[in-house]
Amino acid sequence: MSTYSRRKFLKVAAAAGIVVACAPAAQPSASPPGASPSQAKGLTGTITVSYPDELGVKPKYVDQAAQAVQSKNSGTTVKVDLQKISDDLYYPKLLLALQSGADVPDVFHFGGDSIGELADAGYIEPLDSYVGAWPDWSQYPASIKQGATYKGHVWAIPYGMDTRWLYFRRDDLQKAGLPADWMPTKLDDVVTAAAAVKSKVSSVVPYALYAGAAASDGARDHAFVPLVWAYGGDVVTSDGKWVGNSPAIRKALAYYQKVYGQGLSPKEILTTTKPWTAMRAKLGDGSLALLFEGGWVYGGWASKDQAGTQKNVGYLLHPTENGGPSFTIGGLGTCWYITAKSKNKDLAWEFIKTWNNKDTVAKINIEDPHPVARSDSADVPEFKAQQYLVDSTKSLEKAKFLPPDPNLSKITTAIQKATGRVANGDSTADDAAKQYSADLKQAIGADKVIEQ
Amino acid sequence: MLARNSTYIAGVTPAALLLALFFVGPALWALYSSLTNLALVGIDAANPRFVGLDNYTRLFADPDFWTVIRNSVVFVVGSAVIGQFGLGLGLALLIDHAEHRRWWLGTLAYGAVLLAWVNPTLIAGFLWVAMYDFFFGSLNHVVLSSFGLSPVDWIGSFPMPAVIVANIWRGTAFTMIIFLGALKTIPPDIYEAARIDGANAWRRFWDHTLPSLRPIAALALLSITMSTFGTFIVIQTLTNGGPGNATEVIALFAFHTAFKSFSIGYGSAIAVVMLALNFAFAIAYLRWSRARA
Repeated sequence: MSTYSRRKFLKVAAAAGIVVACAPAAQPSASPPGASPSQAKGLTGTITVSYPDELGVKPKYVDQAAQAVQSKNSGTTVKVDLQKISDDLYYPKLLLALQSGADVPDVFHFGGDSIGELADAGYIEPLDSYVGAWPDWSQYPASIKQGATYKGHVWAIPYGMDTRWLYFRRDDLQKAGLPADWMPTKLDDVVTAAAAVKSKVSSVVPYALYAGAAASDGARDHAFVPLVWAYGGDVVTSDGKWVGNSPAIRKALAYYQKVYGQGLSPKEILTTTKPWTAMRAKLGDGSLALLFEGGWVYGGWASKDQAGTQKNVGYLLHPTENGGPSFTIGGLGTCWYITAKSKNKDLAWEFIKTWNNKDTVAKINIEDPHPVARSDSADVPEFKAQQYLVDSTKSLEKAKFLPPDPNLSKITTAIQKATGRVANGDSTADDAAKQYSADLKQAIGADKVIEQ
Repeated sequence: MLARNSTYIAGVTPAALLLALFFVGPALWALYSSLTNLALVGIDAANPRFVGLDNYTRLFADPDFWTVIRNSVVFVVGSAVIGQFGLGLGLALLIDHAEHRRWWLGTLAYGAVLLAWVNPTLIAGFLWVAMYDFFFGSLNHVVLSSFGLSPVDWIGSFPMPAVIVANIWRGTAFTMIIFLGALKTIPPDIYEAARIDGANAWRRFWDHTLPSLRPIAALALLSITMSTFGTFIVIQTLTNGGPGNATEVIALFAFHTAFKSFSIGYGSAIAVVMLALNFAFAIAYLRWSRARA
């Protein structure tokens, strides 16, 4: 993960010194300083907390944390800037603010995948000194701390981890003549099951394999990367070089060719806006049989129909080519960050610390099911009582992670192009692999790409 | 000299300033950033470097770029030149004809075409998504199913025609209005003279209507070509450039490069090429209208 450290030094310190013209001015405190005993640390002023949310789960926790910070530190104001848009729309908006220096929030909330590219751009503040003085940091397992570390610094605080499952509909597979406790031993069993559904249950979409730009990060995390791993290859080596063309990448793309060529996965994935919305809904109502997707999706189905979901939706780890140990792809989930340009970083940290307490971390991950980032939150009885959450947390033991590469957005584009080309039938797997290699070299530099 | 023109200069200055601020400024900025590797994320966001013409060499060697150019030409010719221009002219002639005869159907058609135009582009895009969608769309679930036909993957099977039809529907009103206005400026005595000379409807159209419309036609064509060339909201809503690259036009390509891959420098290079092509269109059309008018 420290591969890029030989490149230029971060300009975080310099960026932090830049005066932000449009940042909210600190408000004079309402009560005289030192009036309240809880103000021992002398926190004052105003911060803005910015976060996107479409689901409606987060606002109450954010508001609670904001209230708690304000009542504990009189004279402080926590402004909450809730953006009711998808992460996809929020991110460019946030980046433009960070780049231009206008309306920069103090705290923001975004996926942990972005640590590398945000840190290299000098947008975010390292949190080492804060976590160093935070007793609760010891509750975070080493693997999670490692995930939040880039170039030797901690940059973000995760609370709910990402895991992924191969979801399958027991009812659909049974109609196709497969057992309800279907268990693929190798990757091709998934294709065989999808083909059985296609031939025997015509009303059901057999399989959704994300591809192309429309599928967004899903083409990477929910399809291409796990497929390359399933074929025993790697997308990025341990020294941070991306693999352009390799046997495993050709096999992964050939898998696309097979699935789309046999009409097992709908081509609408390539053109629908947010195709995952339709695919998730379809698996939930039984009109899609197989889907590799985020663990967080399960909660949507369960909240609609708890009994039906438990009965009909099975979840498994990702099988491999020859029946080797199955695995999943993990992620830091969404995290809290402090911007480098924040003029009130101590108060910003106070907010993050307050939000990430044992109970909030447990509760929000029950409501929006994710494995918890804090070990002690997993001991909260309500969390432990849910089998799905226990299974999800356990799945992280089998999880592989992508490193927080600063070029991730560009690499994702190359992955979307390669998978889109094969899925649409524009290109064979071998040609798409060659083109993927060329695209990668062009996007991130030939010195960062290898072929195997 | 200056004193004599001072009123004129005073009148033009605000417009010139606004143009400089909102057009020349950004265009120059795009030109400058196209020569850098400026990005929105990563080390290039913190330390953009001057890279000379690298972005342009890379662009012209990028196979996707040529696909995108081809898509743009097909989209502009199909949707602007044939669709909006042809259909707009046809509708204007029909409605003008109807108005002369006081047929109420003309006004109804006028209103219907206008309604498509007054929709915000995004709404228009979503209306067509609601029509084409394979799973939930009305074309499949109302039209085809009532004939007992199985659903068609409209966007997946016919991506380019699908976006062209949507864009024609959305934009025809503009040319129609322009042509309707122009038709009213043609003095009726020309037609009377032609009728007396025994010219049939086709000859009257070919010899009189069309030449009178030529200057305004060039303007309309220029304006819709440029706006169609730069359009992407309809396509973004319908296909987002997919499947594969099938409907990725140049404006969408620039947008995706700048705001999905966050490569501002490379995205700017695409925008500059787009600007250059628009200039070329403008010169070609203006010459055409002056040569013949």
